[in-house]
Amino acid sequence: MNFELVFLAVPTLAKGLRLTAMLTVASVAIGFNLGLALAVMRLSNNRALSGFAKGYSTVFRGTPLLVQLFLFYYGLGQLSFVRDNPVLWWIVGDGAHCAVTALALNTAAYTSEILRGGLMSIPGGLVEAAQACGMSRLLCFRRITFPLAIRQALPAYGNELVLVVKGTSLASTITVLEITGHAKRLMSQTYAILEIFAIAGLLYLLINLVLITLVRLLEAHLTRYLPR
Amino acid sequence: MELGLLQVWEGGWISAILRGAAITIALGMASMAFGAVIGVGCGLIKWARIFPLTLVVDFYTSVVRGVPELLIIYLLFFSSVEFVARVAAAFGYEGLAGNGYAFTIAVVAIAAISGAYSTEVVRGALAAIPSGHIEAARALGIPGRRIFRRIIAPQMLRIAIPGMNNVWQTTIKDTALVSVVGLQELMRVAFVGAGSTRNPFIFYFIAALVYLAITLVSQGGFDWIERLLRPRTRK
Amino acid sequence: MLNKGNQNMKLKSLLIATFFATGLTAAHAAEGELSIGTEGEYPPWSMADAAGNVTGFDADVGNLLCAKLEMKCHFVVQAFDGLIPALKAKRFDIIISGMSITAERKKQINFSVGYAELANMFVVKKDSDLAGVKDIEALLTSLDGRTVGVQAGTTHAHFMEKRASSAVLKTYDTLDQMQIDLASGRVEAAFADSSALQDFLGRPDGKEFQFVDVKVLSTFDPTLGEGIGVGIAQENTELKARIDKALCEMVADGSIGKASQTWFKTDISRPCQ
Repeated sequence: MNFELVFLAVPTLAKGLRLTAMLTVASVAIGFNLGLALAVMRLSNNRALSGFAKGYSTVFRGTPLLVQLFLFYYGLGQLSFVRDNPVLWWIVGDGAHCAVTALALNTAAYTSEILRGGLMSIPGGLVEAAQACGMSRLLCFRRITFPLAIRQALPAYGNELVLVVKGTSLASTITVLEITGHAKRLMSQTYAILEIFAIAGLLYLLINLVLITLVRLLEAHLTRYLPR
Repeated sequence: MELGLLQVWEGGWISAILRGAAITIALGMASMAFGAVIGVGCGLIKWARIFPLTLVVDFYTSVVRGVPELLIIYLLFFSSVEFVARVAAAFGYEGLAGNGYAFTIAVVAIAAISGAYSTEVVRGALAAIPSGHIEAARALGIPGRRIFRRIIAPQMLRIAIPGMNNVWQTTIKDTALVSVVGLQELMRVAFVGAGSTRNPFIFYFIAALVYLAITLVSQGGFDWIERLLRPRTRK
Repeated sequence: MLNKGNQNMKLKSLLIATFFATGLTAAHAAEGELSIGTEGEYPPWSMADAAGNVTGFDADVGNLLCAKLEMKCHFVVQAFDGLIPALKAKRFDIIISGMSITAERKKQINFSVGYAELANMFVVKKDSDLAGVKDIEALLTSLDGRTVGVQAGTTHAHFMEKRASSAVLKTYDTLDQMQIDLASGRVEAAFADSSALQDFLGRPDGKEFQFVDVKVLSTFDPTLGEGIGVGIAQENTELKARIDKALCEMVADGSIGKASQTWFKTDISRPCQ
């Protein structure tokens, strides 16, 4: 390995690391809430709501993220009503905003499936008991259903977080300079492909390691009543 | 019309898109098949904890599952890996021009990714086989190879089907990433069409529909296989 | 169109003629296959259709060169920033893709003599305040903080990184993507060679745009290269000698100039030094 190159590549890729982290945090923050809403909709008795949630999840899980991203960035960018609307153009006009939107909508679909599984795993008796105690539906959701569903869904959600981190690399295809974008630019300057992609890969592994550790800690915290 | 539906029709893009879809499906199936071979091999190693090999397999699965697919594809396409050329030569693809070479590398890249996920599925399926079955077979004095063939393999297959469905869905979607390096699959055709007609919306929209059709049809197929293999139980 | 068909016919008969003429050295002709890497998405240099057929100036140069070398050619289409790695991986024998000869690239691969040279230019919206700038230094300083589109891995990208580092650079895999973003207003200016941008200005979505009247030549900054050459693998010195000789003859007899007239309406051939 060429050390001169490492000194050149590490600071540049670290700049990309910040953006990758920001893309991840923003997409997860939006995507989680959206996914939760979709999961609740999916389990509601209203046919229209559950149908919409099911359709949403099918479409977003059935098409590649790259297609979604290009459809948002290049496809919507072509439509004049999107370009003339300042709010829509703020979202679509900028590569990073567009990437966050696409990633958030995409992860929301997967999150809704994971949370739905968690919500369905809760024994009916618990909810009945809460109602018998006179809890309102909202209070029951907040105190009983949601915390239990999260605990159940956490391991699967940890995997989804890793997928979001990996998904941010696609932002490089719409001019966003996150880790992969910088790696590609460095590659065309130095042609030291193996070294640069090895460093970039290590950065991603590092992010994912940190994320998985955090999820494990949270899991241990939520299941602290269990004998060890 | 702003969307340019007419241009799609008149420019002969429909047939190009269908050809691209065929390449996507072929690429997905080839990668899935090689990935499954990798998955069974590595899954058995992980399950049986064959000492030095498990470390290699662990390294492989955690790197591939932790690094973005796009990065792996860039690496394989751009680096002068003699390895890929050798794989191509081994399958008699030496001197194959254009799409043939790109297709081979694409299969290597996607199969490597798909294989890592298959490994986990196979390992999980093997672990789910009740150990009593194997112990009982041993007690009856059935030789090891036959235990694998008659007891382990059939159960593993059945348990692994839903997981393999997930891997397939991921694999077919991952093939879209190969478009960034120039294989004329579905996404690439949409990409070229969007660029040359300046109607990206309609092209990516059609591409999304075709991908959706592929995933929905194959989902139906997997559901059918799953029903077929479900053990008959009392209601 | 008709003219082009004619050219193809001539080329074919030329190929057939050379085939018979070299009948005695058939053994050599059998191994005489040359695969050419090209981008395929850079009009009017290199355009690939859905079936993989390549047309454009690069294709003409490639076909003329092969006729001269008495070799059979086929084109391999590959994204521009992957061309050099792919050549090194022996995916094809040479690169003909409007590639400028630069010091950086020379560290990776060998080049033939430069056979063509084009001015590099900026394109902006007609009502942009950059439209009237006449001086290159003034132009580069006024790009400060503005978004400029370039194609990934090109001399244009390297030039911008070096000379206008305060501009916000957006790099695209293909020229089409860059032009779509230019038309939609995501980038304020685009930097490329004048021929490729001329093609954009002639399109419906290029109507509101114009050149900035500043020609950026390789004499201004060596990052922009020493003309356009054929990329050849470093170890392939014998092939380089043959290609150099053929190219010099092609420039001298005006066949490259003629191809250039077809695609650029001007002669961009560069005489051998």
